[in-house]
This record gives sequence, C-alpha cells and structure tokens, in this order.
Amino acid sequence: MTGLPVADLLVLSGALLAVGIFGLLTRRNFILILIAVEVAMNATILNFVYFAAFAPTAAGLSGQAIAVVLIGFAATEVAVGLAIVLALNRIKGTINVAQATELRE
Amino acid sequence: MVLGLLIAVGEMLSPGTYVNSQFTWLHLAGSPGTFPNGVSLVVGTLVDPLSALLLLVVTVVGFLVMLYSIGYMHQDRGLPRYYAELSLFLAAMTGLVLSNNLLEFFLFWELVGVCSYFLIGFYYEKPSAASAAKEAFLVTRIGDVLFLLGIFIYFYHFSTVGPSGGWAANGFVFANGTAPYLPVVSGSGSTLLTVAGLMILGGAAGKSAQFPLHVWLPDAMEGPTTVSALIHAATMVAAGVYLLAITSVFIGFTSTDQLAIVAIGGFTAFFAATMAVVHPDIKRVIAYSTISQLGYMVLAVGAGFAMVGLYHLFTHAFFKALLFLAAGSVIHAIGTQDLFKMGGLRKSMRVTSAAFLIGGLALAGIPPFAGFWSKDDILGAVYSQLGSHPLYWPFFLLAFAAVFLTAYYIFRAWFLAFSGDHTRDPTLPHAHEGPWVMQVPLVILSAFAVVAGLFIFLPNFQALLLNGAGATGIPPVYGPTDLALSGISVGLGVAGIGLAYWLWGNGRVYALPEDSPLQSVRKVLLHRYYFKVAYDWVGLRLVYGISRGADFVDRYVIDGTVRGLERVFGSVSNGLRRAQTGAVSDYAGYVIAGLLGVFVLLLIVAPYLLSKMGGG
Amino acid sequence: MSLEELAFLVLAVVAVGTGLAALLVRELVHTILWVSVFFVDLSAIYFLLEAPFLGVLQLGVYAGAVTVLLLFGIMVTRKRIFSRDAATGLGPVPLALAAVTFIFLVASVGEFPSAPTTLQVYDPSALSALLFGTDGPWLLLLGIIMMSGVAGAIYLVREGRE
Repeated sequence: MTGLPVADLLVLSGALLAVGIFGLLTRRNFILILIAVEVAMNATILNFVYFAAFAPTAAGLSGQAIAVVLIGFAATEVAVGLAIVLALNRIKGTINVAQATELRE
Repeated sequence: MVLGLLIAVGEMLSPGTYVNSQFTWLHLAGSPGTFPNGVSLVVGTLVDPLSALLLLVVTVVGFLVMLYSIGYMHQDRGLPRYYAELSLFLAAMTGLVLSNNLLEFFLFWELVGVCSYFLIGFYYEKPSAASAAKEAFLVTRIGDVLFLLGIFIYFYHFSTVGPSGGWAANGFVFANGTAPYLPVVSGSGSTLLTVAGLMILGGAAGKSAQFPLHVWLPDAMEGPTTVSALIHAATMVAAGVYLLAITSVFIGFTSTDQLAIVAIGGFTAFFAATMAVVHPDIKRVIAYSTISQLGYMVLAVGAGFAMVGLYHLFTHAFFKALLFLAAGSVIHAIGTQDLFKMGGLRKSMRVTSAAFLIGGLALAGIPPFAGFWSKDDILGAVYSQLGSHPLYWPFFLLAFAAVFLTAYYIFRAWFLAFSGDHTRDPTLPHAHEGPWVMQVPLVILSAFAVVAGLFIFLPNFQALLLNGAGATGIPPVYGPTDLALSGISVGLGVAGIGLAYWLWGNGRVYALPEDSPLQSVRKVLLHRYYFKVAYDWVGLRLVYGISRGADFVDRYVIDGTVRGLERVFGSVSNGLRRAQTGAVSDYAGYVIAGLLGVFVLLLIVAPYLLSKMGGG
Repeated sequence: MSLEELAFLVLAVVAVGTGLAALLVRELVHTILWVSVFFVDLSAIYFLLEAPFLGVLQLGVYAGAVTVLLLFGIMVTRKRIFSRDAATGLGPVPLALAAVTFIFLVASVGEFPSAPTTLQVYDPSALSALLFGTDGPWLLLLGIIMMSGVAGAIYLVREGRE
C-alpha cells in the first residue's frame, strides 16, 4: 500500500470545520444550521479515522470504533434537531432562528 | 420501647459493658499550633450504664404517653401534627441519650429543643401558647449558647489530651472501651476549665429550667398536658441533668464549678417549691415541682454523685409523668386547670385520684414510694460531702426545707382537686374517667411510682448505677446517719401533708386573712418573684435599644454598601444585557470565540509564560 | 504524486466545495443535493483511508438516512419545496471566527509529517470484534443515548401541545 500525507488530511478537516462554523454562524434557517453542524461533525469524525489509519499499532483501531460511535451520535443529533425544527415550525410558523428570540431577557 | 427495654436489661445483666459503634464523617487534618492532631467529627452510638438508664425512662414513659394521647387528644384537629412532632421528639431524645460524643449530643440537644418549641406552641391559635413557645425557645437558647461555648473551651483545652492524639482528634467521644476518655479533674484545673464548667452548667440550667433560667417551664404548660408529662417532666428537662452527669463523669468539674452547681441546684429546689405553694393552676404547681426536683438532681451531681442524681431522675420521671397524666385526666374531664374550681373528684374519678395520690406520696418522699429512696439518697449524698466546702451547708438546708414544701404543695393540690363533696364551680361538666387508653398508662405508671425506688435493691439495677464510669458510690446501705436523715425528711414530709390536710382537707378552702403579713409574701410568690417582669423589662429596654442600634447600622452602613454595589452591578448588567439578543447564532458565536480564546491561552500564552518564567 | 494522493486531493477539494455550496446556495433543495454529494465524497475518503466499514456506515447513515431526514424536514416546514431562504449577509465576525479557527488548526499541522505515510490496514471483522467485544459497553451506551434522543424527539413533535 502506498501512503498519504497526514498534514494534508489535517488541513482538509480544518477547512471543513471552518466551513461548518461559518455556516453555523451565518445561516438563519434552522435546517441549514443543522447541516452546518453536520459538516463540522464530519470534520471531527474524519480526524478520528485518519489518526486511526496512521497509528503505529493495531491499537489505533479504537479510533475507528470511536468514529462509529460518533456517526451514531450525529444521526441522533439530526433526529432531535429535526424534532426541534418541527416544534418550532408549529409554534412560530417559521424556522428562521432570527425570529426565535425568546432567550432574550 | 421494646428495643430500649432490651438494651437496658442487657446492660443490667452485663454491668459495665460499653457498646460503642461510630464512624468518622469528617476529619480535618492537623496543623501545627492549636490542633496538632487534627479535628474529627464523629457520629456514633454509645450504650453504657448512663444511657441505658435514660433509655429505659425515655422509651417507657414515651410509650405510655403515646398511648395516653390516643384518649387525651382524640378530638383534636392537629392530631397528625401532634404525633409527628412527638415521634420526632422521641427519636431526638433517644439519639441524645445514645450519642457518643459532645457534638452529636449538642445536635440532638437542639433537636429536642425545637420539638419542645413545636409542642408548647401546639395550640398556636392561642397567643399565650405561641408566646410561651417563643419564651421557652429563647430562654433555653441562652443556655444552648453557653453550652456551645463550653464545648468550644473543652475543644481547645483537650485538643491534645486523650487517646489517639487528643480529644478533639477523637471527636469528643465519651468512652473508649471500658475506661473514660479523660481523667476526672475535679479539684484541680485551670480557670479556663472552671469557665467551661460554668458554661456547661448554664446549658444544663437552660434545659432543666434551673434558676435563673427557670421562667420558661411554668409557661410551657400551655402545651398539651401529655407534652408536659413527657417533655417537661420526664425526659427533655432531664437532659440538662444528664448533660451535667456525663460531663462530671467523663470530664469532671473543678471545685468552683461543683460549688456553683450545688448552689444552683439547692437554691432552685427551694425557690421553685415556694412558688408552687400558692399557685392556683394544677399544671403549674406540678411544673414548679418539676423545677424543684430537677434542682435536687443538679444538687446531687454537684456534690459529686452523678449517679445518684440520675437515680432520682429515673424515679422522678415515672412519678412526675404520672402526676401530669393524672392532672391531664382531670383537665380532660372537667375542662379547667383552676384548682379552686375543682373539688370532690375523688368519687367520680377513682383511678385518677388514686394515681395522683400515689404520685403525690412518691413526690413527697414517703416510703416505700419511689421518691423516698432517690431523694433520700441525694440528701444523704450531699450530707456526706458537707465537710468538703463550708458553703454547702445553706444549700443542704434549703433542700431539706424544700422537702416540707414539696409535701405541702402537692397535697394541697390533691385535697383541692379530689377531696370534698362536690366541685366548687357548679357550672363545670360532670366528671368521668377517660377511656381505657388513658387509664392503663396511669395504672402502669402508678406501679412504677411505687416500685421504681425499690429497683435499687435489685443487684443488677444497682450495678447499673454503680458501674457508671467514674461514678462514686451511692449509699445503698443505710447506716445510722442515713436513717436519721431519712427520719427527718419523712417527718418533714408527713408534717407537710398534715399542714395541707389541716388547711385544705375535706373540701376546706383556706383563705389567708387580708391583713396578714404573709399577704405580701403570697403576692411576691404569685408574681413569681417578679422574674418575668424583670426579664420583660430587660428584653424591652436593653434588647430593644441594642436592636435599634443594630437596625441603624443595618440600614445605613450595610444596606448603603449593598445599594452602592447594586448600582454598580446594575449599570454593568445593563451593558451586558444588550449582548443578549436571543438569537441562537450569536450565542453559538460567543461559544466558539470563547473556545478559541481558551485554546489560544492554553497553547500559546501559557507555554510562552512558562518559558518566560523559567519553566514550571 | 501517487494515485492515492491525487485522488485524495480531488476528494478534498470536492468535500470543501460541496460543503460550502450546501451552505451558500439559496434554494434549500439544492442544499440537500450538495450535502448528499458531500456525504458520499466523505465516504469515498474513508474507503481511501482503508476504513471500508466506516465508509459503508457513512453511506448508509449520512448519505441515506440523514439526507432523507433533512429533506423530510424541509418538506414539512415549507409550503413549496423550491422556495428560497431569506438572504443573509456573510458578516465579518463569523467569517473572522471561521478563518481564525482554520488558521489555528493549520498552524498546528506542522507537528505532523507532510511526507506520505503508510496506512495501517485493519480487518473490518477486527473492528466489529472490538465494538461488540471489549468496547461493548460503549456501544450499549450509544444505544441508550440514541434511544433517549429519539424519545426526546418524539416528545417534542407530539401533537396537541403548545
């Protein structure tokens, strides 16, 4: 097998995380915010996978195991997030978070 | 109750054993200086002869009073509250008796105090009951503060004395195996220990209503009579005596302390008895009598015979509870506490009448009833110590005089209530006995009042008293001196009964002539030596003045500071409030910015600083 | 440059591009299209990294389930599927935050080798042995968390509450 440079992979996940954060902060549609979170989450999972791939021993397999768990978490998170979207839509008639400002004092 | 009896009987069968189980829930490591070995806070259970004796009293009397209450309180709306508070009290009292260290003792001590407050104020709709509860709480609180200060002093003084590196490091535990933790230091010791002993005495005086903190107990009669019987006659007020007893056994008092204890005990015994002589309220007469009898116990402890005091506590608990329950039976039947309205109840209430009579005979110290044995032990014990200090004499004589007064006032009450042909106030309802749940406890307690004193002749019970740690022997053997003393005291008792019969017997009501010089004495006694007035005056003028000063400080100094701070924070938060847009995205931005800030600090700033400071 | 490196570069560019596109396009349905491409692209990266099990999982869970869920969410909350999102500016602060994050992460990359490194190859059955063997409790915990998450979701969307 040939190899891949670790540094490049890390740059990729860094970029994805930045994209996720950027979307999280700028989007006003709740579904888009969810997608942004998913993108950031995937950047994290990616990190686990390639550190597992570059681990010197077979103990790195735990990295992949954690990645599996994280994918599960992400799926749950989407389910809960969508439930919030639906509830928000029913209560306020919109899913624009700019209009959901009940947290204001 | 069964458990309590079992423990007590077990203790009797194997005298001198200690069962001590405990665990430390907090240990503060030592620091050089005052507490080199640290300080432990311990929770534990200790069964030794002292606690076994008290346990017997608490559980038996508690059970009987609970039983009696079914009849006495059956028509009361607050019955669930009553039983809840009574159960809490019994639990706290058992805990107090079984606690194995001073701090735990103090916790339960406060708990019984607050239960007493609840139960005195049980009829809280009545203003007098509410204020009596407050009074009891506040007056005993004075004692409690003194007690706590006493603990602090012992804490400080004995921090290095005792096994395993000091008493404080051991968590104030009373006993270790079969030996007391600390040598008895009576006769020697520093000024500090004297002060500590006086503080403990103050605590005991508050709880046991000794002079000058006696004012709350008569007013505590505002509570239900059952409560008076259990808490303010048999158990809680005895806790003060118990405290003095364990303190004298395990820590010891200095001779000055002992004199103070003897003085307070002897004086209270007489002083309270005089007030009981004139009072028209049946419960308050018994309450004064309780104070007086507690004075005897304190006297015995002060004279160095702690176990004799506890022995009197033991017998007194039974006959005093009996007197209270009998009085409660009367009150239950005719709805008044005024002795001058009663009369002739002997015919309609035979059981109650007999019970009250037995209780009265026991209180008056007529053999073979319970009070005779223990009271004579006390007088004999004090007499044997008369040589040790010249100032013991007057208090011994006062205690002797109180025997006469005791017999007189309790039989005055009995004659007024039960003898004669009919009630003096015809409007009272026709008297009748209460239900069986009220009569059974009377009968059982009567039996105890007759035989409890004789327990001393049971070798096992005697062992219980003799094996109390550090207890000096009580005189179970009656030598000629004891016999003479007994003769005098019985004679005085009989004389008192005779006087009572001459003045009040057969329905007679003795009216003191208007121009008699004794009229003024009577007035002073009826006004309880003007103690309450004086306390009220102190409370109003002194405390109110202090309160106004405190109020001024509170209003302008403390509140001023607080308001200033409030303004500062108000303006700051006004600024911060604008940051709260309510939009989730903004919050997410803050979170991420904060996280980045933490990373920058951890990964860039911190290493930089560490390298600057030469590594760390 | 080996074939793997070339493939990786392409996939990486596609990943960042689709991620950005998903978040920036105006129409929500297009977002879903882009994001599904993004998920599939990531699964390809997993295969490239010798993690076939994760690649399949990524395909099933993300490209499959999550995409459908998101699509479903859009359908329920919109009257017309092809409506546009309210216009939002880029905003200097979010941009700056994202940029700082990126720079920060890239700056720390220097500690790792930039030359190609041989990949560790794992047997998928070893992964399952780990997951259902020694790491079994963790999987159980995951299940519990997912269950409670789903229960919470059902509670949130229950009819008849305001």
